[in-house]
Amino acid sequence: MSIVVLGLSHHSSPVELRERFAFAEAKIPDALALLRKSGVADEAVILSTCNRVEIYGATALTPDAAAAELRSFLLRWGEIASQMQRVSPSPQREEGRGEEAVLNDSTPLAPALSAPGRGEGAQFGGDELYSFAEPQSLQHLFKVACGLDSMVLGETEILGQLKQAYALAHRHGHTGARLNKAFQRAFNVAKHVRTETNIQRGSVSVASVAVELAEKIFSSLKNREVMVIGAGDTSEKTARALLSRGARSIIVANRSHDRALALAQELGGRAVPFGDWGAEFGKIDIVISSTAAPHHILDRVNLEPLMKLRHHRPLLLIDIAVPRDIDPEVNFLENVYLYNIDDLQAVADGYLKQRKEEIAHCEAIIAEKVKGLLLKSEDREWKMEERTSTSPSSILDSQSSF
Amino acid sequence: MAWFTDRHFFLLAVMVYGLSAVYSVFLWRLGFRKDDHVNYYLLLTAFALHTVAMFKRGFSLNQCPVNNLYEATTFFAWAFVAAYLIVGLLPRLRFLGAFASPVLFAIGVFALMPALDPPRGPKPEFSGALLSFHAATILLAYGAFGLGAVAAVMFLTQQHDLKFHKLRAVLSLLPPIQRLESITGWLVLAGFVFFTVGLGAGHFLPRRENTNYWQDPKVMWSVFMWAVYLALLVLRWVRVPSNRGFAVSIIAAFVFLLLTFWGTNLLSPLHHP
Repeated sequence: MSIVVLGLSHHSSPVELRERFAFAEAKIPDALALLRKSGVADEAVILSTCNRVEIYGATALTPDAAAAELRSFLLRWGEIASQMQRVSPSPQREEGRGEEAVLNDSTPLAPALSAPGRGEGAQFGGDELYSFAEPQSLQHLFKVACGLDSMVLGETEILGQLKQAYALAHRHGHTGARLNKAFQRAFNVAKHVRTETNIQRGSVSVASVAVELAEKIFSSLKNREVMVIGAGDTSEKTARALLSRGARSIIVANRSHDRALALAQELGGRAVPFGDWGAEFGKIDIVISSTAAPHHILDRVNLEPLMKLRHHRPLLLIDIAVPRDIDPEVNFLENVYLYNIDDLQAVADGYLKQRKEEIAHCEAIIAEKVKGLLLKSEDREWKMEERTSTSPSSILDSQSSF
Repeated sequence: MAWFTDRHFFLLAVMVYGLSAVYSVFLWRLGFRKDDHVNYYLLLTAFALHTVAMFKRGFSLNQCPVNNLYEATTFFAWAFVAAYLIVGLLPRLRFLGAFASPVLFAIGVFALMPALDPPRGPKPEFSGALLSFHAATILLAYGAFGLGAVAAVMFLTQQHDLKFHKLRAVLSLLPPIQRLESITGWLVLAGFVFFTVGLGAGHFLPRRENTNYWQDPKVMWSVFMWAVYLALLVLRWVRVPSNRGFAVSIIAAFVFLLLTFWGTNLLSPLHHP
């Protein structure tokens, strides 16, 4: 019995194609049941996210045969999913084609997916699918869990998605000793890599970088006052990120007072008239500015007297407007730290570079863990585990070491 | 082993301080992105050796080993390291060690100069618990002032990097500048309290007849340093100097202390009869 994986991801295919193969969560148990019933795999897990669709199977078939069967299964699934998009919502329209029975053994194979519907215009040429057998399948699983295969290198959301996919399959009885062990090890490897390397350290979005900067200046973000000047999307995201780290309140100032009120209400803060924001400066710790003003709204001349009211408390200014809202000369004032959009992007790029430097280290850890797992699979312990069953929570939360 | 004296143990401690200083350069080159726990353990090892050295000297004298410049210097360095090891229990403040170890190595090398530790003469005329207490608290104060100066250097480094958008300001594991400023203030305050207690104890020490306590160079210097640190603390409390100004003042005060301590000690009939 060996583990194979087949799928497509943002590396190999555009979203127009990936969405045609995506599995709705409610459909996954049936898809797994069908997959196992067909004899392709004894155990299976389906991972379907916005950036990848992958089927992990423990199979007694040869790797090539298993990959071919999984490919057929996925293509049939993709065809049926596309057809369901074209068919009207009434389940009685096509006999035997209710929502529950979307795929069965008699469903014809679709050699090419070019029918109109979801992903219209996206042609499937066959190269978009990748498949791996052991040990590459395990390496791929571990890499996915660690965020090494993600669109944003090192992101952590994929681990949660992988855990959910595994839990769903396990809950419906579609996993066994082989996949249980592999996924458990994958989750442990992800934790190990997170603590031993910098692959997940730092932020790669502008909003998160602003929060990191604030945490380098202030001992704690709790009870910090934040002002948002200009209610744009990035300002809003940055303000939310600061609030999530404990910032006390948000003051919003915008040329459109209605927009300021709306944003303030969403963020649990208050709005002030655009002309009055200067009066709040004595209390503010962090300013996020992104207006559409063609000139500087804050310069050294009008900020310097305001700094005297602050009693040497530091002030962080995040200027994400283009053209810039804040005069760069302001940075020369004592206790003022001014960062514009380029500065934030440079920090984000620095973190990304740091993450890329960690790839080799992470891959070395993964290679070692895969080797360990494969060696153990030949031990008696592996065979004994086939006779025991474990609960999803204990596996998912297991702290066992290699 | 009888031939392995307290100076040998101190020499070993200084060698480990040197190793720590070299490792600190490595951490600095990495932009302080690597955790400093290795440096902490190096300094802990050096502290253990240093403590053995001081205990051996103390037991051989049957009193607290603060009777000559070598002993005073080693005690001061020991207090410096002790203060760091306590503060460094907080992971984010552990990087103080990277800045402290070069200073400790330099002080250790200086202390090992033979002229600072002449062959022991007759037992000092005045000795006892009060003298040991006076010397120990003064040297603990110097240790706290030293670590405060190191924290101030870290503050200035991090503040500069943040101001000029250096990537290492964000990528490093150094603590936030507000925390560094706060720890500087607390260390200086702790040092000032020890200093006040130590000077007070010194006033009650027995001395030879016809010795003018207040005209002794070391006493005048100590009172001057006490006034300097008091002024800095008061000004900080009323928020007169900027954060940067306070940090620079703390560093300047400690450098002055380091450069003049031994000279005034030699000029003092009370401390160097």
